[in-house]
Amino acid sequence: MRLQNKITLSALAGASLIGSLAGCTTTASTPTSDTSSAPSTGSSTGTASKTYKDGTYTEDGTYQSPAGTGRITVKLTLASGVVTAVNVNGHATDPTAKTYQADFDSGIAGKVVGKKIDSLNVTNVSGSSLTSAGFDEAIKAIEASASA
Amino acid sequence: MPELHFAAIGTQWMIDTPQPIDQTLEALISDRVARFDQTYSRFRGDSLITALATDGGTHRFPDDADALFDLYDTLYARTDGAVTPLVGRALERLGYDRDYSLTEHGTVEPAAAWTTEVAREGTTLTTTTPVLIDVGAAGKGYLVDLVGELLHENGIHEFVIDASGDLLVSTREPRRIALEHPFDPSLAIGVAEISRGSICASGSNRRVWGNGRHHILDGRTGEPTRDVIATWAIAETALVADGLATALFFTAPERLAESFDFQWVRMFASGLADRSPGLQGELFS
Repeated sequence: MRLQNKITLSALAGASLIGSLAGCTTTASTPTSDTSSAPSTGSSTGTASKTYKDGTYTEDGTYQSPAGTGRITVKLTLASGVVTAVNVNGHATDPTAKTYQADFDSGIAGKVVGKKIDSLNVTNVSGSSLTSAGFDEAIKAIEASASA
Repeated sequence: MPELHFAAIGTQWMIDTPQPIDQTLEALISDRVARFDQTYSRFRGDSLITALATDGGTHRFPDDADALFDLYDTLYARTDGAVTPLVGRALERLGYDRDYSLTEHGTVEPAAAWTTEVAREGTTLTTTTPVLIDVGAAGKGYLVDLVGELLHENGIHEFVIDASGDLLVSTREPRRIALEHPFDPSLAIGVAEISRGSICASGSNRRVWGNGRHHILDGRTGEPTRDVIATWAIAETALVADGLATALFFTAPERLAESFDFQWVRMFASGLADRSPGLQGELFS
């Protein structure tokens, strides 16, 4: 539950580890399992006044793929309440994932690292973080009720 | 470059053009977006989609529906039914409904079969029972294309339309587009370069709620997908790029390439990513 709060925080902070892990069944974070009691409107605009301790946190999570259960280790760093670094390591046991690991060596598929967008000479960003304003409102409402 | 900002279909849009977009064209764009929303939004009580979900029967869609449903037909076939406009009811059951209740109600069921449940003759759809259509997999991209057409029709041939991460680019010099890290929007996992065409992203990270629920549903099971966590597709149109970004969650790119000419990037829950050999750009490793 300790990490859960921090992960929930990351969603508010604009990062979204909550999503990546809620896509899994994980020992560390099931923050959205509380959502059955979430309000159906965004009327609650609670100020998430909770503060989170800076530091680096590591948790294991599992996810289901057609090949079975996979395990990942997530390491995230918090500074001033903002997620500043995320590192995910897969522990491939199933053949498909092993293939990807092998491909990495031949340069076909590999572990990617994040670079600061500010440091890149780019004009636009393609991603799904900004997708739905309405949904973000709902997430905020849930965050508010979850931390109440 | 001058930028036009506006909100449409629940998201933020930005259009970059060398010359400013005048008020007349801005009004045309606004009107086009409104008509699209009026037709396809399943969150609106007065939309055509809602009418079909309430009464079933025969409904004639606008002319623009033809290309949209054609794309769905192809994706449906290529993904063995995983990508279907009929995930709407399953999304609702999982709580992604008009009120964003985010509360599961009912049981998870496979979507009804698109090919048998809905008879389509061009833009006319007929159903025997009410069906809830969701064009979320390709609708936003399609609207990006339609807005792009409006720009061309009005003499603006150089532009970038950015609908919160789904882009249509028409520029002389290639644009460098960051591929946003699915875990952290301040980071990119790579860069794609585009001067003509569209890049669309799909991720399971953002719209997410209880018990591993997120908005990309497998139409065959009614359950959200899990293994792939983010995808990008680059194609000539945003309609195709948007649809393929979703399809990449279910189906091998090679199979999709039998029907579409496109480039792609996938990122997995393991933290690994792969890409099409022809991708213009790079992944950071």
